[in-house]
Amino acid sequence: MKHFTKLAVAAVVAAITASASLAQELYTPNLAYRTGPFAATGIPLMNGQADYLNMLNARDGGIGGVPVNAEECETGYSTEKGVECYEKTKGTAIVTQPWSTGITLQVLPKTNVDEIPLLAPGYGFSPMMDGKTFQWAYNAPAGYWDAADMIIQYLESQGDLKGKKIVHLHLDHPFGKEPLPVLEALAEEKGFELVPIPVGLKEMQNQSAQWLQIRRERPDYVIMWGWGAMNAGAITEAVKTKFPMENFVGVWWSGHDADLAIAGQDAKGYKSISWSFPNADAPVMAAIKEHVVDKGNSKSNEEEMSGVFYGRGIIISAILAEGITAAQKHFETAEITAPQLRWGLENIDMSEARIKELGLEGMVPPFKTTCANHTGNSGGWMLEWDGEKFVKASELLTANTEGYASIVAEKAQEYADANQPWAVNGDCSE
Amino acid sequence: MLNDIFIAPFADMIGAPDFLLQVLWEGLVSGVLYALIALGFVLIFRSSRIFNFAQGIMVVFAALTLVGLHAFGIPAWISVALTLGVMFVLAVGIERIVLRPLVGQPDIILFMATIGITLFLIGGGEIIFGGENKQMITEELGIPTGDTVLEPWGGLLILQHVDITVVVVACTLVAALLGFLNYTQMGRAIRALGDDHQAALSVGISLQTVWVLVWFIAGIIALVTGIAWGARAGVSFALEVIAYKALPVLMLGGLESIAGAIIGGLMIGLLEKLFEIYWGQPLLGGNTETWFAFVLALIVLLFRPQGLFGERIIERV
Repeated sequence: MKHFTKLAVAAVVAAITASASLAQELYTPNLAYRTGPFAATGIPLMNGQADYLNMLNARDGGIGGVPVNAEECETGYSTEKGVECYEKTKGTAIVTQPWSTGITLQVLPKTNVDEIPLLAPGYGFSPMMDGKTFQWAYNAPAGYWDAADMIIQYLESQGDLKGKKIVHLHLDHPFGKEPLPVLEALAEEKGFELVPIPVGLKEMQNQSAQWLQIRRERPDYVIMWGWGAMNAGAITEAVKTKFPMENFVGVWWSGHDADLAIAGQDAKGYKSISWSFPNADAPVMAAIKEHVVDKGNSKSNEEEMSGVFYGRGIIISAILAEGITAAQKHFETAEITAPQLRWGLENIDMSEARIKELGLEGMVPPFKTTCANHTGNSGGWMLEWDGEKFVKASELLTANTEGYASIVAEKAQEYADANQPWAVNGDCSE
Repeated sequence: MLNDIFIAPFADMIGAPDFLLQVLWEGLVSGVLYALIALGFVLIFRSSRIFNFAQGIMVVFAALTLVGLHAFGIPAWISVALTLGVMFVLAVGIERIVLRPLVGQPDIILFMATIGITLFLIGGGEIIFGGENKQMITEELGIPTGDTVLEPWGGLLILQHVDITVVVVACTLVAALLGFLNYTQMGRAIRALGDDHQAALSVGISLQTVWVLVWFIAGIIALVTGIAWGARAGVSFALEVIAYKALPVLMLGGLESIAGAIIGGLMIGLLEKLFEIYWGQPLLGGNTETWFAFVLALIVLLFRPQGLFGERIIERV
């Protein structure tokens, strides 16, 4: 009996200590994919994300003095595994980062019930821009409909699009189909013909049929919503079929240095719209080197760190950190809860001054979120592959959000109606 | 509608014969590669009745080993030789550690074992080589990278030198394999095991030796396939999915038939490309390659359950 009492006391003490230690961190799980067919694009992003948060932990003791635990749960980009990871990590999480449009669509209704902010920077379901309907979901700093609009704006700056033909080469997956409503509306408005061409998951490496169709269609431009091995596959096929690279533009997930390096000089002129840009001279890079890389705590390497995707990983973590900081200041507590982070994420003010203060100069355009706008619509730069690396090929482009505001409202309402009962943010008066 | 199905596609073919030639060429290249992957499956199935689920990951593993060794500064062709050495060690390891203890077990157990090998190679490969997309050492291997542009009937036909090389190498490999299987003692041993397991064992054919050999041949095929596909879009774990393209080839050609693998691969490569371009894209929105080969194989199975070239199994009860 004596032993049992001792054991019970020890168990209670251990439980109290464990719960106290658990509370001493901000748990921000990341549904990462470092394995599987899309690992090549996932790894630099995850490394950038991890290195930024590790730098904050090492340099500042975390955010507001509380360490961040950005534990990764491996999904392999599989929607089923992503949902499992969400369920496994949601307990004490203050945010979930689903990392695929497929997973985002699956966990979106769950987060609205579980009241956990869903952070999907630059991906996910585009109507998430409507913060009143999607009060727990964020895709700042820009969504796919912004990307579609900016790409068409850029192409229009090269000449009138009336009577032109544009191929939308896309992964046959929710991600690839996401920009279609806006592209179709723009096609009608601007008078160009839109030809969607899907690429199946098994055809990513061998897109000869798709590029034969492109050859037959003779489009003026090809825009690409590609991911993983699809990007390299498309670029090598474009080179092979002698499609003019300057007329080939990808979304920001189709602008990965390693994919372009496979075609090298042959891919010179290929473009990709992007809301992030790597800047080796930015102070944040020096801080990461000092506090993470030099201490042997980074999984990255010098070449990867100079690429677009690593830099984007940094920005994604910086957006999360800004949401946490905003919430900590507003609620005057360092150990924030998920509902408090929701407030923080819809009150991010990433101004030029703040970007400089964070040491992120030139790496992300300014943007601001509100309770009504969860996307922020930062705009982006058109990047161009110069044969060895991406360089900026345009000034900052901004999406004409008014042009598709009605589609956002319509699709958001459709989603809410289809997922009743759907809690909306009635307190948002903007 | 009838016009779109029965007349327009053929009118397109006649109207643009250069384009038709391009479609046939692309289909031939894909078909040769499908046939090559299918051969890897068939050789192992014939000798051991094992459906090798690991064939796809072996392609990735072989290509990653080659690129990884070259990254250490080892010359390209020495890297090829060393990669073949690694595939041989892998074949010996699989036979000793996985297959030998499972001799006599039901087929499904052996199939599950190959799933285990797949998971092991995925994990091991990611730990050793990482998941990043790597560039195939095409030029270092001396594979020509330019193209030849022809103008048949005043049109345009682009033949990539890489594709020509792939077709030549794959055909040579297939011919060498057929020669090996038909004219060498060990090749005949493999065929004997495929024809009658018990009888082959009773005349002293070593099951262990044959298994090591067929898994090593599957490794060679994996390396050639990995180089061919890696030259197109880089080397990453995404290459694994191309092995699934061989499944309808096996259904069509029969799991035991070498000729079936070759003819089935070529048929599927050509037909899926023709269907996609002339019927799939105009009528069904494209991406029919994902399912066309399976539907074709299913139709064949309705009439010939053993596949076009498979052996009819008669079980007396």
